[in-house]
Amino acid sequence: MKRSKGSATHRHRALPVLLLLLSAQLPRPAVAEQPPWAPGVERALDPSSRLAVGAARVALHNYNFHAASPSGLRALGQVRKATVKSIPGVGQKCYLQFTTEDYRSRENAGSCLATVLYPKKKSPPAVNIKCINTKDQKQIQEEDNRLYQKLKRQTKPITGSNIPDSFGNIEPALEPVWALAVAGSSYMMWEKSTEKVGYFMTQVKSVKQWMRKDDSLEFDYVILLHEMPTQEMISCHMRLIWLPGHPLKVKYTCDSENHRLEDGSGMESGSAAGIIREREENF
Amino acid sequence: MNMKLMIEQGQVWLYNRIVQMKHSVQIYPHPSWIICTKMWLFLGMTFSLGILIPGKLSLNLQYDGDQVLHIVPETFQQVQHLQHLCSTSMLDLWKPQLPEDIQAGEDLHIRVPAPLVQEVKDSLDQHMISYKVLIHDVQELVDESMPKQRSHRQIPEGYNYTEYHPMEEIYKWMTQIQESNSELVTQHHLGKTIENRTIYYLQISQPSNKPKKIIWMDCGIHAREWISPAFCQWFVKEILQNYKSDAMIRRFLQNLDLYILPVLNVDGYIYSWEAERLWRKNRSPYMNGTCYGTDLNRNFNSSWGSVGVSYNCTSEIFCGSGPESEPETRAVAQFIEKKKTDILCYLTIHSYGQYILTPYGSTTTPPSNNEELMHVAQKAAAALMGKHGTSYKVGSTSSILYSNSGSSRDWAHMIGIPFSYTFELRDNGTHAFTLPSDQIQPTCEETMLAVTTIIDYVDQKYFPGGAVMLTSGSLSLSLCLSVVFTWIAS
Repeated sequence: MKRSKGSATHRHRALPVLLLLLSAQLPRPAVAEQPPWAPGVERALDPSSRLAVGAARVALHNYNFHAASPSGLRALGQVRKATVKSIPGVGQKCYLQFTTEDYRSRENAGSCLATVLYPKKKSPPAVNIKCINTKDQKQIQEEDNRLYQKLKRQTKPITGSNIPDSFGNIEPALEPVWALAVAGSSYMMWEKSTEKVGYFMTQVKSVKQWMRKDDSLEFDYVILLHEMPTQEMISCHMRLIWLPGHPLKVKYTCDSENHRLEDGSGMESGSAAGIIREREENF
Repeated sequence: MNMKLMIEQGQVWLYNRIVQMKHSVQIYPHPSWIICTKMWLFLGMTFSLGILIPGKLSLNLQYDGDQVLHIVPETFQQVQHLQHLCSTSMLDLWKPQLPEDIQAGEDLHIRVPAPLVQEVKDSLDQHMISYKVLIHDVQELVDESMPKQRSHRQIPEGYNYTEYHPMEEIYKWMTQIQESNSELVTQHHLGKTIENRTIYYLQISQPSNKPKKIIWMDCGIHAREWISPAFCQWFVKEILQNYKSDAMIRRFLQNLDLYILPVLNVDGYIYSWEAERLWRKNRSPYMNGTCYGTDLNRNFNSSWGSVGVSYNCTSEIFCGSGPESEPETRAVAQFIEKKKTDILCYLTIHSYGQYILTPYGSTTTPPSNNEELMHVAQKAAAALMGKHGTSYKVGSTSSILYSNSGSSRDWAHMIGIPFSYTFELRDNGTHAFTLPSDQIQPTCEETMLAVTTIIDYVDQKYFPGGAVMLTSGSLSLSLCLSVVFTWIAS
């Protein structure tokens, strides 16, 4: 228990004291995000504020991309603690502690500590993240290998569309392909996120496999990303190469959307069409 | 859950009073006062518990929301902490039998009573002890093993509430629901959509000569959020199936009429079935038919057009050509405006994200009854979580989601409807708008608990008295006494 129950040892008083201690956890007053504070000062954030939650999601996009593991994808659980610091001339840095869930099963997957720096100039947020694993890492690797073998065994190029379908269904055979899409999309979503704009991968509009002579698996995707708060569906073309135990290779372009929010906040458009972002040199 | 939060409120009030008292009197309480108060407090505690506990037990929900956690402690420190936890809290150790037998590397299964679930999980997180939820709701398993009773079958036979239905089927369902429950349900015409389709709502009203107040709930304002109309249908079904047997529903139907709008944005919903699954807006043509759709939830007359919108029809958050420019918006607004003095609660159901949102989106200035709104929303979220462990965030739209003007919920509160909430249902992004149908039932079950918590609170607030003798006066008295006793005794 968070608060020690030093004096409460008598059994017949256990219940009322327990209730008192439960009741002693008064709701904490919300910490409002105040206008510019002294630079360099770390101030507390309401863990449910959009800055904190958004930053936690960005950190997880980064984690999911670097983990390069379709079986080890994580979704945000709850933000437990969050602080933010304004670094003059550089940007805003968030310090976060949050729990995570398995992306599919919503089972508790362990907590993470992360820092997310949103730079003043237009560039991807800088993320540092460390997570505890509740699942056995070996088990995850074995699942990844199993997925890999299943896909490698296909003699014909894998294709698919609308994953999940309108009813939320994902064909079991295409689940690994969808999970890879989530991992790859995490790269796009991480790069495109800002303090004000966040993303969720909504659907694989289409997928086509490119057969390779080496051991890697290569897929061509059209992905729909749900952009908040604009509510737009951004269509992105993504090329992904995967080999278990190796970093994911992702190239992408997203359709240009140029909707301004009518509050002067100036929404940035998605990556302009025509620019290809590469993750690895020898693609 | 209710108990904890009620005591919480009582304690805040009492603490403030005691501080006030101490500051004004400037001396410490006389010893004899302490003894007398202890006695009163003990009586008060027993009294208040006596009121609160039998009520809970009589509903036969002893394990509702209780969870069983599976833990494998890794270090000796973790073992010690777990032993401490089991010995000092009301945790039910299933495996091993005794705290002394807890060992590193060995399976641990503990049943955690619902009110302690979050605290225990927090404690485990703090001590870096990982856990898995083995059983999300012990009562559920208990219920499943009980023989099922014949439920009150007044719902259309064969209508499957655990799958998504196209608009044609929902129209048919509304007609059937009224036909087979005509003593309680009437179907009404609210207005027409831009493509000239009819918008219907259902009124659930227990016949009586008492004047009633109104609870309004609308679903499907955004076309792609299919789980929302699914919930409205589920809600109606649940009320009709249980209004005779469920004490809480019976009680509030004596005082409240329920107005349920299963699909507000009919054109958009149909479009999302036939053309574009992820369509959001209505189907209003703009720019000579080169661009379609206004975001109905930016179109209401609440700081319309000021923040979080676009004036461009191509945007998903296009607010329309003016406040209430859309016939769907007008249909809802005109009706609610007419009935506003009788409407106590406005609920609007969306997806996804798992939020219960309070006013406002258009400003960070809190509404006048913010504290109460938050308190009730937190109660609702707690009730929801008890069902399947789903966690919802609670807060104002502008602080935890985004700024937006012209929302129906903001408008409802601004014209004076005190309890106005937006629900964003499952999930948290994994399936987003395309929630698989196997999640319809659990989503609806848990949301049902949240919504009935709110309705029940509103009912008790505006129609106090009734079966359980919990007048606000006697309750706060017994809470005060019990809290003061415990405070002095510890």
